[in-house]
Amino acid sequence: MVPITYYLLLAAALFCMGMFGVLVRTNALVVFMCVELMLNAVNLTFLAFARMHGNGLGHVSAFFVIAVAAAEAAIGLAIVIAVFRSRGTVNVDDIRTMKH
Amino acid sequence: MNIELVLFGVFAVMTLLSAGLVITARSPINSAMALVSTFFFLAGIYVLLWAHTVAVIQVLVYAGAIMVLFLFVIMLLNLGDAPHRGKPTVTRLLGGASAAGLLAVLAVTLGRMDAQPARLDAQGQATFGTLAAIGQSIFTTWLLPFEAVSLLLLVAMVGAVVVAKSRI
Amino acid sequence: MDGTLVEFFRTAPIPPEVLSPSLGLIILLPLLGAFVCGVFGKWLGRANVHLVACSAIAGAFVLSLLAFWATSDAAGGRVVSMANPFGLDRDTIRYAIAHDYGTWFAAGDFRVNFGLLVDHLSGILLLIITGVGFLIHLYSTSYMEHDDGYWRFFAYLNLFVAAMLTLVMADNLVLLFVGWEGVGMASYLLIGFWYTDSAKAWAGRKAFVTNRIGDFAFLIATFLLILTVGAFNRQADARDYNAAGSSRARYEQGISQKGPVTFKGLEKLALALPQGSGGAVSLATPIESGPLSGYTFGGVMTATMLLFLLGAAGKSAQLPLYVWLPDAMAGPTPVSALIHAATMVTAGVYLFCRMSSLLVLSPTAMATIAIVGALTSLLAALIAFAQDDIKKVLAYSTVSQLGIMFMGVGMGVFWAAAMHLMTHAFFKACLFLGAGSVMHGNGDETDIKKLGGLWKEMKWTHATFLISTLAITGIFPIMSGFFSKDAIFHGVHHNHLHGLEWVSTFVYVLGLLITASTAFYMSRVYLLTFTGKRSPEAKLAHAHESAWHMTLPLVILAFLAFATFVYALPLMPRSGGGTQPVFENFLSPVLRPAEAVARAAETVKLDTSSPSVGDYAFAWMWALLGGGAAAFAYLKFFPSRVGQPVPAFARAVRRTALNKFYVDELYEFILIRPVKFVAFILFRVVDALVIDTVLVRGTAYVTEKVGLGLRRLQTGDAQAYAAIMALAILGGAVYALLQVLS
Repeated sequence: MVPITYYLLLAAALFCMGMFGVLVRTNALVVFMCVELMLNAVNLTFLAFARMHGNGLGHVSAFFVIAVAAAEAAIGLAIVIAVFRSRGTVNVDDIRTMKH
Repeated sequence: MNIELVLFGVFAVMTLLSAGLVITARSPINSAMALVSTFFFLAGIYVLLWAHTVAVIQVLVYAGAIMVLFLFVIMLLNLGDAPHRGKPTVTRLLGGASAAGLLAVLAVTLGRMDAQPARLDAQGQATFGTLAAIGQSIFTTWLLPFEAVSLLLLVAMVGAVVVAKSRI
Repeated sequence: MDGTLVEFFRTAPIPPEVLSPSLGLIILLPLLGAFVCGVFGKWLGRANVHLVACSAIAGAFVLSLLAFWATSDAAGGRVVSMANPFGLDRDTIRYAIAHDYGTWFAAGDFRVNFGLLVDHLSGILLLIITGVGFLIHLYSTSYMEHDDGYWRFFAYLNLFVAAMLTLVMADNLVLLFVGWEGVGMASYLLIGFWYTDSAKAWAGRKAFVTNRIGDFAFLIATFLLILTVGAFNRQADARDYNAAGSSRARYEQGISQKGPVTFKGLEKLALALPQGSGGAVSLATPIESGPLSGYTFGGVMTATMLLFLLGAAGKSAQLPLYVWLPDAMAGPTPVSALIHAATMVTAGVYLFCRMSSLLVLSPTAMATIAIVGALTSLLAALIAFAQDDIKKVLAYSTVSQLGIMFMGVGMGVFWAAAMHLMTHAFFKACLFLGAGSVMHGNGDETDIKKLGGLWKEMKWTHATFLISTLAITGIFPIMSGFFSKDAIFHGVHHNHLHGLEWVSTFVYVLGLLITASTAFYMSRVYLLTFTGKRSPEAKLAHAHESAWHMTLPLVILAFLAFATFVYALPLMPRSGGGTQPVFENFLSPVLRPAEAVARAAETVKLDTSSPSVGDYAFAWMWALLGGGAAAFAYLKFFPSRVGQPVPAFARAVRRTALNKFYVDELYEFILIRPVKFVAFILFRVVDALVIDTVLVRGTAYVTEKVGLGLRRLQTGDAQAYAAIMALAILGGAVYALLQVLS
């Protein structure tokens, strides 16, 4: 039996890696991928706790997270396309309209 | 030293390696491919957690659908090997450091925790994580969130079309 | 007289109990007319607007007639009556119909009902408002035929009628105040009707602001009354309630049902306050608790009535607030006739008649009212001597006549004041409409010096103007104005206020002077306008007579101005033997409580004698004196001296009178300048310094500086924001960890 703690540690590591990527990468697509990493870390936590308590609720939550991630990816990528079309770049350094 | 721990170790290391590749690869294509591999290894981890169904969905939806979408967009925008411009600013490095710090905090916290998997009876073992059990739960107790998610997907679909299309 | 005919008039066509729930329709019809004319008037077109506006008033008139008839209903010898909610079961209100539409608003134990009451007093006013109102609407259809704002005009006019009807039908002070404010607003809108002319817009504003002062006093007086009712309820004992024909349970039930400011409830309060009852509360009793503690009931009542006087002075153009009425002539002439002669300005007189039982509790307030009325009347009459604008003369004449009514109210001859209100409504409306007809036919010329000789060209206008002039002056005595004015002066002379007996003589002497002055200036207007030769300065070579829409109302009003004198004749039996005037008999159901209070409190000694022939002759002599002087001056003296220099003394007198004795300038100097100065200081210190500089700009300054500092953080870099977020998460996690560890 693998202790649940290991799984949680793995999830924490994955989450922090994703977070790191979100913060330092400049390519919007890569940033999105890192967000997916973070979501997967969360999913892993859900499943680990489900296993720990022997409760199927975590699985349902993971299911919903995947569904929301799909929606997020669709919208996010659409935005990337729109931004690319109007500015010719997907580099978040160049997209600073939030300043205005 | 049992086989489960060995498998976990292999999958965990491979997951972390792939994830590291995702955030370090120069080309978005490489990142995407590394992400696919991350998802696969994670699916393996899920199986170790007796979450067979979620593992299958992970492969189908994430590795299959979402990643295909990513690759499609990368190729559509022809971002092959965009030069890596700009240096990370102070705030970004600070953010990266805080990510590391968070990992440290979490590690300390989790290190003080001793969590073991639940010991399930025969009936629990037979049903835990099966499609039937999850489906039962989703379509009875969680029907309303399920419908809400379906609505969300619909909205996302329409929204994606509206945002991405230059002329409707 | 035939018995069946009497029975016909005593039987209302619609029984009172059937009619009373529909009393609200009398108000609602003009209101609907105002709505339709105001909102859809532009699209309806001129003829339709006339139809809507006139038929709304005509409908209200018919309903008023039915209501009036119902208040006098005595079918089968059973007089119409209703239970008094504040009295014992045997206590009924006779000759009145009422309907309560339920609570308008309530706060704690205070409540105001939307209750309407029609008795003989308000019935008379209903007929005047809707009847004269209809005639003036009819007149306006022709008078305003060339004005583009016709739909606005008729909407305002209908709105005014609705508000005025609310005022007279209200059964409590608060609802009356709604009408009071409503007529004020309609008056403001109509004075400034031609608002593109800034002088006229200013005149409207002046009327509004002046009225505001009075309305403020009115409100405070209402609050005082509410407090007094509360104090009375706390302190009164059974004998007090008994004296008022009520009981504690019944009175409190009435207040919880109808609210503390209904006229019937206040009447009971007045009946309970005189000393005679021997109860715990009388006029000299101090109020024990509440904001008024320490003051006596009588003192509070005097203060209340004086505040009501200020309120009434604003609305009815008395000293010191009369200055707005002459300027109000900036409005269209029908407005002057309806609002500023016949109806709205008499609201103050109506208010005091309505609250007569409270008023007679305070001889001080009564004397003040009488003196204010007399002084206003004389001053206005003197100013009218030298005015050349026909409408200005009539305006000052209105102020003067209102002063006479106030004299009557102040000396306790309420019935005569109400009767003068009625006759004045007829002859003054006729005079104003006649003046409007003159203006209409002479290219809007208002200067009487530039008119003259109109008797040939405007026969109908001339005849009706002559009749009305005779009525207001009393030069020819068989006229309504002569009798109603004489009834007031007779009462003023013979009624005596307790402790202030000198007031009677003083006011009476002033009254005789006023009679002579009135005869003088009205004769002057008539002579200069209609007789003699046409002035060479006239705008038009030949005047033209107005259309029938305008002359018909003139004829009807002139007839009424003549015929209503019969109401002053002592034809009805008095309950204690002898006879009394028809109108006094007619109003006695309304005014009886006031007489009872006056008797019990011994504040006013009311005289019930009728004037003798000698008295009439004496009054007539004064009118003849004034009229004769005017005839001598304007037919003989001035025409013979044309071209000769005027003596310096006469010039100075005339200039002073022409400038209205500099009252406006005096107000400017002692009131408006200081107020403006205080306003200027406040503007500089409070507005400019505290609010603008410290609060507004100071806030902006701090915000700006903080914003400038924070702007450095806003790079627009989404990842930098996310990094800060990550830092915050780290901080939270560390904090949580430390909490767990410790």
